[in-house]
Amino acid sequence: MEELLNDVVPQEDLERFEKKYHHEQELDGEVSTETKFEYAFCLVRSRYTNDIRKGIMILEELARLHPDGRRDYIYYLAFGNARIKNYTEGLKYCRAFLEIESNDQVRSLEEYIKKQSDKEIAKGMAVAGGAALVLGGILAIAMAKNNRNRDK
Amino acid sequence: MADRAIKLLIIGESGVGKSSLIRRFVENKFDENHDVTIGMDFKSKVMNVDGIDYKVALWDTAGAERFRSLTPSFYRKALGAILVYDITNRDSLVKLEAWLAELDSYSDNPNIAIIVVGNKIDKDRVVDREEGRKFARKHRALFIETSAKCDQFVSDVFKEIVEKIVSSEYFGNGGGADSLDIANGNDNTAPSTCSC
Ligand SMILES: Nc1nc2c(ncn2[C@@H]2O[C@H](COP(=O)(O)OP(=O)(O)OP(=O)(O)O)[C@@H](O)[C@H]2O)c(=O)[nH]1
Ligand SMILES: [Mg+2]
Repeated sequence: MEELLNDVVPQEDLERFEKKYHHEQELDGEVSTETKFEYAFCLVRSRYTNDIRKGIMILEELARLHPDGRRDYIYYLAFGNARIKNYTEGLKYCRAFLEIESNDQVRSLEEYIKKQSDKEIAKGMAVAGGAALVLGGILAIAMAKNNRNRDK
Repeated sequence: MADRAIKLLIIGESGVGKSSLIRRFVENKFDENHDVTIGMDFKSKVMNVDGIDYKVALWDTAGAERFRSLTPSFYRKALGAILVYDITNRDSLVKLEAWLAELDSYSDNPNIAIIVVGNKIDKDRVVDREEGRKFARKHRALFIETSAKCDQFVSDVFKEIVEKIVSSEYFGNGGGADSLDIANGNDNTAPSTCSC
């Protein structure tokens, strides 16, 4: 699973399908479902978070408007969210998929996300503790300033 | 160890049993359901040839038409291709011509090792063994018939293609590999887990 998630789309693929997408947009004013999916499929496998987010947006729209291809869209929504460590969203999509259809591939992705998110939670506790300290510090400074202002 | 990596690609029409062959080989399991592969799936297994461990990466592609334009980028750097058809479906063998053409145009390895696999021999055949063999010979590919369901000759598919790759120039030894043990050790003598 890790290998699959770490596999980055070749730049030329991303560019080719991006061009196709913009070309249709300019020529016809709208983009076909296939082209949207091709572009999103590349975006969610990009190295960059912004690309992945853009891919997720396209897939969300596709899943909303085209129920017939939904299983593909939902799988790649789970996949894209997993890649940007949006584990809660990723799990949500895996479960939505598995409710409709049993599938080995989706089950492996679900297991992987669960494991990663448990790890993050363990780490997150430490981070949250640190954040509280920082936040506490900021408040203390603000309060000190306020007090000074009032003193004037 | 990372340099001893072998990337294999599995292609062919939807439903011929690509994922089933991999599942049988890697997990020794079989599922009657057709869990249609979405885009691309990945599994790996360590195989030992002549005392050397190779990490075999198995890239399982979706046979479904709608992924045809998206999967070619996965062909890159593959050292071997496993082309699967279903012996109860002649069209799946005919379509392998198109899959080979696809491989020809997108693979970056002119010496890619190819094995043609006729799967589902536990069922009543429609395609003669000789037809599959002829097709393989025409394309200078290895040939084997299997049943993922009954675990017949499944490990031989991977063993033969990996041996061919390992003995080729890519790994710097021209000689043939004469022995190969599958790391997890389920060979043909192991009792079949299914009722056929
Ligand atoms: N009888 C029998 N059925 C098999 C065998 N191999 C696979 N099947 C069945 O064939 C169907 C398709 O198998 P899959 O392995 O999912 O097919 P695939 O080639 O991966 O298909 P896509 O992912 O759609 O490209 C499933 O219902 C399997 O149970 C076999 O050796 N014998
Ligand atoms: Mg499959």
